[in-house]
Amino acid sequence: MNLLRWQQVLGVIRLEIRKTFFAKRGFWIYLLALAPVGLFLLHTIIEIQLRHMGRTRDASIGQMSFIYAGIFQFFYLRLAIFFGCLGIFMNLFRGEMLDKSLHFYLLTPMRREVLLVGKYLAGLIAASVIFSISTALQLAAVLAQFDSATISHFLYQSHGLSQIASYLGVTILACLGYGSVFLAAGMLFRNPIIPAAVVLVWEAANPVLPSILKKISVIYYLKSLCPVSIPVDPGMPSLLALLVSNAEPVAGYLAVTGLLLLSALILVASMKRVRRLEINYTTE
Amino acid sequence: MSDRIIFDNVSKFYGDVLGVNRVNLSIPPGITSLVGPNGSGKTTLMNLMTGLIRPTRGSIQILGMTIDDPENLFRVVGYSSQFDSFPKGLSGYEFIYSYLLLYGFDRAQADEFAWRAIDRVGLREAAQRKVGGYSKGMRQRIRLAQAIAHNPRVLILDEPLNGLDPLVRAETIALFRSFAGEGCHVILSSHVLHEVDIISDQVILMSAGYVVAEGNIQSVRNEIQDQPMQILIRCKQPSELAARFFEEDDVVEVRLHHDRAGLLVKTTNPTRFYRSMNHLARTGVGLESVAPVDDDVNSVYEYLIGEEGSR
Amino acid sequence: MAVYKRSYRGYSGALTPAWSRFLVLYRFARRTMFRSRFQTGFFTLCFFFPLLCLLGIYANAHLSAFSFLTKRSGPLLKMDGSFFYIFTSVQCTLAFLLTAFLGPGLVSPDLANGALTLYLCRPLARTEYVLGKLSVLVITLSWITWVPGAVLFFTQSAMEKGWMAANFNLLIGVLVGSFLWILVLSLLSLALSAWVKWRVVAGALLLAVFFMGGGFGNAINAVLQTQQGYLIDIARLISIVEVSFFRDGTPQPFSPLEASLALLAIAGCCLWLLMRKVRPNEVIE
Repeated sequence: MNLLRWQQVLGVIRLEIRKTFFAKRGFWIYLLALAPVGLFLLHTIIEIQLRHMGRTRDASIGQMSFIYAGIFQFFYLRLAIFFGCLGIFMNLFRGEMLDKSLHFYLLTPMRREVLLVGKYLAGLIAASVIFSISTALQLAAVLAQFDSATISHFLYQSHGLSQIASYLGVTILACLGYGSVFLAAGMLFRNPIIPAAVVLVWEAANPVLPSILKKISVIYYLKSLCPVSIPVDPGMPSLLALLVSNAEPVAGYLAVTGLLLLSALILVASMKRVRRLEINYTTE
Repeated sequence: MSDRIIFDNVSKFYGDVLGVNRVNLSIPPGITSLVGPNGSGKTTLMNLMTGLIRPTRGSIQILGMTIDDPENLFRVVGYSSQFDSFPKGLSGYEFIYSYLLLYGFDRAQADEFAWRAIDRVGLREAAQRKVGGYSKGMRQRIRLAQAIAHNPRVLILDEPLNGLDPLVRAETIALFRSFAGEGCHVILSSHVLHEVDIISDQVILMSAGYVVAEGNIQSVRNEIQDQPMQILIRCKQPSELAARFFEEDDVVEVRLHHDRAGLLVKTTNPTRFYRSMNHLARTGVGLESVAPVDDDVNSVYEYLIGEEGSR
Repeated sequence: MAVYKRSYRGYSGALTPAWSRFLVLYRFARRTMFRSRFQTGFFTLCFFFPLLCLLGIYANAHLSAFSFLTKRSGPLLKMDGSFFYIFTSVQCTLAFLLTAFLGPGLVSPDLANGALTLYLCRPLARTEYVLGKLSVLVITLSWITWVPGAVLFFTQSAMEKGWMAANFNLLIGVLVGSFLWILVLSLLSLALSAWVKWRVVAGALLLAVFFMGGGFGNAINAVLQTQQGYLIDIARLISIVEVSFFRDGTPQPFSPLEASLALLAIAGCCLWLLMRKVRPNEVIE
């Protein structure tokens, strides 16, 4: 990419970042991101209070990291980041169509693919910042209930630091993967809710999909990268348990490559679409 | 490189709905007005020119460039659309400046161009206010400023005079003239026919998605042969002159002007009529002036589009 | 002095009675709704399962004709609480999806385009406007939830003597469960679309509220070791109410009354939000 195109990407990012971070319409995304922080903070406060009162539930750091892993995989990744990315990335094209302001970009001497890359990067930066900060705050809130010796032991001798890094990495990769999916959905469909619902069901059904189909989902790669694995719920109905095919978790580098490849493929498809994109605000 | 905007057999359909059909145009520099009733395809034509929509059939070239080449095309094209909407949260200055950066101008250049454009539309005082708080006229002007900020050679303006007060209207028309004077294309659409008449070098009349006429307005009028041309003749003895006109084969109607100091003559052959007028002038009927009264856009519009336009 | 020709005459025909004026909105919305092939298709699809159940009931009652298929003497289907629970759950899920497609388009375009004043400058009050929009969802969702449920109940009653008296609670379950579900769904979707004023985001938010409510409720339960998290899980709350009618003895975190009160509180919040946003004035910032 030549220098002008980089300048254009930066120009788009500058314009979009501002809209994404400070849009009133995106207020609920902050709520999504910060809800688990509030929950862990509340838990920590309760634990500290109980300790002061001489009553303790004796939650070890190991137990807490296991609980956190469950919340991270089943709530934060699958729901909070999923819907957050839906809100952020869908807004990039479909939101501007609704605001009737997309044509200003299309009237500048910039290839539409450059616009797509700029918008995607802006969404990625916004989503990554919001959700990574939330991940960091959640971990801080979880650890806050323990004394400094326990924390430093966890961080430096029990792979705590690498776990934190993994969680942050998975958060950013989730934004990258879901972001590409919803950017494409926002461009391809006038009402992206239908594809969003389909993706939600597809991602939720990932455990029961055949091994080959599992690979065409974001959660498959993300799960492989999570530092603590959560076993299949023993309470799962037997019929469903039979369907669950436990595909071998992929190696870290393969998971990252797979996810990047998946996102790149979706972005390339979006690029093909953006070239043919027409402005017809009346149908919005 | 061509200096024309060329539409080669362009059609655009929105599903089953016709936008424009089989448009063939070659637009020279100068002020060109698109005239036609609502839904006649004026905006579709402008959107096609700027690649905001793509032709179903045919091809478009702007000064030799295709609409698939935005990197070059939009260095020379500026478009002020009719969409009265702006990116949220930006001031007038930020709106122009931010988009100028996408042209590859450095910050100092973008700043200079932005202020110059803002000055040209007279919005310096309001430039730092949020566009959301602007009046309709101000929004129209800031859109115009955005379209001209990068010094385009082709300026496309959809209803650019809408919402402007008379003073600003006059200033804006002067701005268009100065652009056209520099050899640029100014293509605008308007419903105000007398303004179109005043400012246009050529017109494109549209109706129901078809181009019904194009070119210099007088030439267009001459082409409409099924409507006799109306000529106003000022003279001292109108009744005597009227009697003489009845002897002419090509004169189909003669009426006394309401101030009784002239005649309104309808002729099917203006050339022959003017020639006979030369002859009459020498006979001492006291001719003061001879001028056509229906070779303006209004009349042409009435003849070609007629009632359809007023629907 | 000017003389004007008076050609305008005000409408002097019969008016829609005031009490049913809100239904005018329903009539217009219905026309718009069925203009979309997808929505019409989906609405039609919602009758597939009730039809299947109806066939099941018929086959069950005329078992002898099908004995060559089953080679058994007992009934094909057990017409008990579980049957109606599954029926209600399936239809309520479909009602949720239909609401996600239909609901956001009812109020948000009016608010986004400043069209509310066009309604309210006519003899139509704010409450009637809300009632009218609500009626669109209530009537549409009724067609796919409690109406077929009641048809199934009465069909089964007609097929088996004495069954109705012994299972009357099932009809109440279908009605109460469906009504609560429709009320909460409709108000929530209208409130969300009035709040964000954008159809697409409102649809996404509706999905988010249900899925996030369930997910975050479970997260609260796991972290705080409590069961209060279910209070924000709307689907779970409805299920608690339905289970109390359809299945006895299943342990639940709350009583049906508590669950109903929680649902009514959610509906109340939505109504408050809706009434706050549906105002005939516009703030230009």
